[in-house]
Amino acid sequence: MDPAVESTELTINIPDSALARVRSVDGVRSATPLALATADARLPNGRFQSFQLIGVDDATLFGLPPLQDGVSPTVLRTPDAVVVDPGGTDGKLETPISAADQWPYRQPHLDVPTRELAAGDQLLVNDHRVVVRGRGKALPRYPPRPLMYTTLSNASRTLLPERHSLTFVLARAAPSVTPRELAKRIQAQTGLKARSSDDFEADTVNWFLINSEDVGDIASMISIAMLVGFGVTGVMLYMFTTDSLKQYAVLKAMGADSRLLLTMIFVQSGLCALLGTGLGLGMCGIVGQISILEFDFPFRMMWFTPVVGGLMVMLVSILAAAISARPVLKLAPGVVFAGR
Amino acid sequence: MEYAIDAAGSDIAVRCRGLTKTYGAGDASVMALRGIDLDVRCGELLMVVGPSGCGKTTLISVIAGILNQDSGQCEVLGRDLKHMDQRERTRFRGLSIGFVFQLFNLLPALNAVENVSVPLLINGIARKNAEARAEEVLAAVNLGSRLDALPGKLSGGQQQRVAIARALVHEPKLIVCDEPTSNLDHLTGRNMMELLRDIAQSPDRALIVVTHDPRIFEFADRIARMDDGRIVEVVGGNDKEGLQ
Ligand SMILES: Nc1ncnc2c1ncn2[C@@H]1O[C@H](COP(=O)(O)OP(=O)(O)OP(=O)(O)O)[C@@H](O)[C@H]1O
Ligand SMILES: [Mg+2]
Repeated sequence: MDPAVESTELTINIPDSALARVRSVDGVRSATPLALATADARLPNGRFQSFQLIGVDDATLFGLPPLQDGVSPTVLRTPDAVVVDPGGTDGKLETPISAADQWPYRQPHLDVPTRELAAGDQLLVNDHRVVVRGRGKALPRYPPRPLMYTTLSNASRTLLPERHSLTFVLARAAPSVTPRELAKRIQAQTGLKARSSDDFEADTVNWFLINSEDVGDIASMISIAMLVGFGVTGVMLYMFTTDSLKQYAVLKAMGADSRLLLTMIFVQSGLCALLGTGLGLGMCGIVGQISILEFDFPFRMMWFTPVVGGLMVMLVSILAAAISARPVLKLAPGVVFAGR
Repeated sequence: MEYAIDAAGSDIAVRCRGLTKTYGAGDASVMALRGIDLDVRCGELLMVVGPSGCGKTTLISVIAGILNQDSGQCEVLGRDLKHMDQRERTRFRGLSIGFVFQLFNLLPALNAVENVSVPLLINGIARKNAEARAEEVLAAVNLGSRLDALPGKLSGGQQQRVAIARALVHEPKLIVCDEPTSNLDHLTGRNMMELLRDIAQSPDRALIVVTHDPRIFEFADRIARMDDGRIVEVVGGNDKEGLQ
């Protein structure tokens, strides 16, 4: 890839010669080209939809996801063939049910009943006709967006001419070399940027963490949730403590020193924190697992989520305990006597 | 009528001289104790009686080391409370003083045995030993069959017996009771006083019982009558019936 590329999200194309250069590096078992582009496609009812267009190697079809209904990937080699994939979107790949509403003569029939695009349906990309030959089963995208797979040669026919059309070279390492080493080697010998797939995945995640507004939005949501949680747990613990102030007073009168009382309060809040963290993480895991299995939603708990979560819960409970320790320490044991 | 101050020396558990205590400051201040002179002998059961607000609770709070007097001297079990710091005083309370409260004040989440073992646990005794000792004392107050009961499942009289067991379990030299019978009916109250007399009273232990309840006066060795922050008289032995 181009040295400036940091994620799958923002890419810039490289000369076609890059493929030959990568193939010449020692330790590369095979290398295939991959082209990314955006294309606005006209749907049969006249609506249009923006796609990420992915051109895969004509010979190997490397990069094409498995297709739904057991359709063979080789359908992509028929003329003008494309494979569409919702890429995490819902209801965007539709065509009118009635043939009379498809490609109407005078004006688009925008609001007629529709069904999902299926094999045989046609779309227009840059006024070129393409034929849907199957639907992909790719993992959902973030952010969600419909995908259109085609061969590189089809892509070069339908896309507007560009100086460069190649975006990535996908290299496979020979058994003798690890992907990461090979990446270093490619980088050194070609002047291109090369990353193992794991590293590039991590790069992309980091890029989103740094560049995506969503991350900031979510972070502020979580901070607000934490503040509220802090308020609520703090007040709850405080209430627990003041509710049983009399019992603390009894213990104090009977000779319990401040250290013992403090220990009691902190153990209580610590246990709450532990229970809460466990419940929260467990429930989060269960919901995540359900969303993976039932809704195909790409849920992942990264290592820092439980760590940061646990630390925050600990912080909140320590603060809450400290606040509720005050009335206990200031408590005059005299309140234990009758009437008051 | 005897004098409040007892001349005999060594068998005195509590000795108060000129004790004063004022709550609050300025216009809102209340002088609860206005110079208390009082001796409590080892082995006796002293009742403190008097109208509401006369300072009875304040007095035993000072004696039990949970409230500081403003002036005067208060020597409890030979130690001057004024010269102890907070930590020492807390420790002293834990080791030497037993408490019985009007509202029992048992910990609702703990069963009878656990409640009774609390003073021992506070004094650093291992849980197993503490509970064994607690079971003994509960048996002595006739609650051997309700060891595992939570306070909420016990009658008022039973709760107060648990409270007595708790006050006794660490064998303190002084037990203070604030209106121990005022939440109990007559018979239960008498039973509870009998229990106190039979089990708690011993030659080396003093009991101070604050009460409003003339029906239990007969259990007292001496009765100190208070009014308006002072001890007005102390009657002993046979003169008790004359009070109220
Ligand atoms: N914490 C306090 N702050 C201010 N005033 C107090 C406080 N505790 C007691 N007092 C006042 O001091 C006086 C003596 O109170 P104390 O509780 O010692 O009386 P008491 O003889 O025990 O009364 P009762 O028979 O009603 O229990 C009362 O006037 C009371 O209002
Ligand atoms: Mg009182």
